[in-house]
Parts: sequence; structure tokens; C-alpha cells
Amino acid sequence: MCADLSRTQRNLLVCERSSFLDEKNRVSSQMEQLRFNYKVSVLLPECGSAPSHLESILNSFSSFYLVKQLPLYELLDKDFLQSAVYQGSVYGLSFRTRIDEDNCVALLPNGHLVFSLDKDAFETLGLEGRPSRSNRTSSRYEVTVDLRDGSMAPGGRGYLRLRRALTSHLKLQMDFLISHHPGGGASLRPLLSRCDWSEHRPEVGRRGLSRLVRPALRSCDPHDLLEWIGAVDAAVSRENSSSDFLSTLTCLEPEATVSRAMSVSTCGLLLPQDLQHLVEELRCYLQQAQTDSWASVTVHGFTDSPVSWGDGERDILTGGHDLYNLLMFPDHTYRLHLAAGAQKTCPP
Amino acid sequence: KMRAGAEEAESSGYQRVVLKNASPHQYLKSDLPPRVLEDESARVSAIDLKTFITSCLRSLFGEVGAALNVDVLKYDEETLTALLRVPSRGLVKLWSSLTLQGFYQNRVCAFRVLQVSPFLLALTGNSRDLQLD
Repeated sequence: MCADLSRTQRNLLVCERSSFLDEKNRVSSQMEQLRFNYKVSVLLPECGSAPSHLESILNSFSSFYLVKQLPLYELLDKDFLQSAVYQGSVYGLSFRTRIDEDNCVALLPNGHLVFSLDKDAFETLGLEGRPSRSNRTSSRYEVTVDLRDGSMAPGGRGYLRLRRALTSHLKLQMDFLISHHPGGGASLRPLLSRCDWSEHRPEVGRRGLSRLVRPALRSCDPHDLLEWIGAVDAAVSRENSSSDFLSTLTCLEPEATVSRAMSVSTCGLLLPQDLQHLVEELRCYLQQAQTDSWASVTVHGFTDSPVSWGDGERDILTGGHDLYNLLMFPDHTYRLHLAAGAQKTCPP
Repeated sequence: KMRAGAEEAESSGYQRVVLKNASPHQYLKSDLPPRVLEDESARVSAIDLKTFITSCLRSLFGEVGAALNVDVLKYDEETLTALLRVPSRGLVKLWSSLTLQGFYQNRVCAFRVLQVSPFLLALTGNSRDLQLD
């Protein structure tokens, strides 16, 4: 019996078209569902340099903190729970841990602490969990604890059990990226004061582009559109012909040539709230632009996050990460494409 | 006029489509670590790489495999990193033939596949590259 070599992992692409003025538009809530964002890149046509408002928005993105070798029981400290977990939204993710090899942890803004563990760690910790739904033979286990639940209040039974597991059964320690909205570093002080930490600002990069041949952005096929934006972002040449030896990548159905464009990107632990401000700013920018103008925003999620869209479990065996692209036009219409790297999760 | 009207109606309406397994291509980011090539002074050009990929496919899957249309979208000669595009039905063949190839021009080598995605856009960001030191 031959395996079917032409099969690939399941991939989903959600394509939405609507207007920001439409009642059904829920771009903000969709953007919020991707908790851990690694990179955002903005593409603006007919721009020699990034507009000043855009620069100021990117420079005002929240700082995030790297805590080296954080013992996970520190996340259960009463002061930290009070200042960061119970109030506002905390975003925490283990850093330099690979989802398919190491134990990964995420702290979500709704107070859920999610562990993705290998078999040994899961059995040693002794917490209630379940095998990974994505692949039953992969020996990964997921444990989710709701820190805002009554039983997890400091001194409660669930709290003491978790604390005992993390202090005596298995002292999990890992590098951790953490940020908080709206409190920032002040809300995280109870945790940071006891650990080796450093503050980081998302790094902004800029790249000028010239002579871009673009397809019909409003009507072209979603995969062609994403391939075109990916080629621009990756600086891949599309000036090939179908008989070229190296590459046959071309712009299918070219509509126009953009004489120059600006690509601005920033990387780090980016908060959905900051990304929403960015989108609002770009909408204002487009109101003053020409009618055939547009703006593209692409957001990449973290590859090794244990959660996918809407806190669904992340599938460790698929390639790629979660990402979305929002293509906006001056008349308030947009095209939104959401891609999931997970087998069982559909983007919102 | 009718067409303009229809376009207007479409642009103000809400439309959501979910495409499953509809990506015509898959994209790979791979590298050939220089240290693995025994002779570090060996230069591998883009054309050498494309020829090598075709020969890898031929050695494992024969002429049918070698006929697979693999595009070398981008290649960096310094880091030996390449962005490849292949039709979705050929991903497993390409990936397995790269993985199982152990020699390049009689020198030991090992392809390393860094990222795979049905979207080229996904290959422009990889959180594993984040450096915070």
C-alpha cells in the first residue's frame, strides 16, 4: 500500500470582504483573538518615507519584558496576581522553547495559564490535563489552569496544588516574555522585582521599494494576493517568464505599476491593542490619500505559542504559524485574510 | 453601469469565505549550512542549487519527480539560504528528497528545512529568529 505523497497538512484560509462601516464588521475582535503577535509589517504605496503619524504610533508600541529563567511558581505570587492577572490584560509566553520539543507555557489575558508539556513533565507535575488533540501519537499534553477561578484564589485548594506541583514535583524554569495592558511595567513590578529581567522595545525596520507591479487588489484570488504581498515582503523578484530555469513566479493579471512604496515592520511581543491603534491610524491616513490608494498590514503570530486563534490548541505538527493580512482602501472597505497553522482551529 | 452597480453592491456587503486546502503552492525555506559542506570554499550558485534539487528529486522519484516544477524564489549565496516554491502535490516529494540527500558533488552535505507554509507571506516572519540579547 502506497502512502499518498500528494497530500499535505490541512490548511485553512478565511477570506473576508467588508467595510469598516458595516455593522457586521468585527475586525477588532478578530485581531484580538491572535494573542501573541511577533511581527507586523505595513506596506504603503506611493510613499518615499513613512508618514510621521505612522512612525509615532510604531514608536509608541508597548515595551515588553524578558525574564531569564523564570521559575513558573513565581506567576502564582499573590501581589502579581492582584496587580497583573486580575486587572487588565497580561500576555506572557515562554521564550526560546520549541513547541515540538520543549515544554511551553503561555499566560493569557483572560487569566488562563496554558502548559504544553511532554509526557515526562506532564506525569511528574501530576496536574489535570489531557493529551494533545492534534495528534494522539505525539505524546504532548495540555494543561489549562484558570487563575481567575475561585478555586485558584491564593490559599485555595487548586492554588496550593498547582504551587506544590511547580515547587516540589517539577521546578519548571524558562525564559519568559511578558507584557501588560494597560499597566505596562508598573503592573508587572511584583514579578520583575524578584527576577532577572530586561526591558525591550519592538524594533522598527524600514525599506523603500521601487517599481512594484501589482495585481488587481480588490478582485484578485486570495492566494495570488497573499503570494504577491509575501513576494514584496521577502524581496522576491517576480520578473520571470514561464520558461525561466530558476523561477517561474510572475505577477498574474497585473493591473498597475506602483513607482515607489514603503515597507515598515516591527518585531517583538506586540499587543493586539497596539495593532488596533495602528490600523485606526492607517485608516485616517487613507482618508487623505487618493481614491486608488491602499494599505496592507500583515501580522505574524509566534511559531511556538501553545495557543492558536481564540485560545484553541496549537497543533505542533503543522508547518507555519498563525497570521493575518488586512488590506484597506480609502472608501472604508477592506479585505481580511486569516490563516491558521493549526489542524483543528479555524480563525475567527 | 450594471457592472459598476454590481461591484458597488459587492463592496458594501459582508462576505466570508473559508478555503480549505486550496493553496496551489507550498513554500519552503531551507539552508545548506556551510559548515556541513566539507570544503567551505565551495561556491553554490542559484543555478547549481536548482540543478542539485532536480537531481535530488530524480534520484528518489525518477523522471516524474524531476519534472516537478520547483521554483527557487530567492537565494543567498553567502548564507546558502533559499526560498523554494513547489506545487502542493509535490511538497512531500521535494521535502523528502532534500532530506535524504547526503552528498553534493562528492562532499557531505545536509539540507535543513527551516520553515514550510502554504503561504509565502508566512516565510517573511519567524519568531524563532527573535534575538533579545
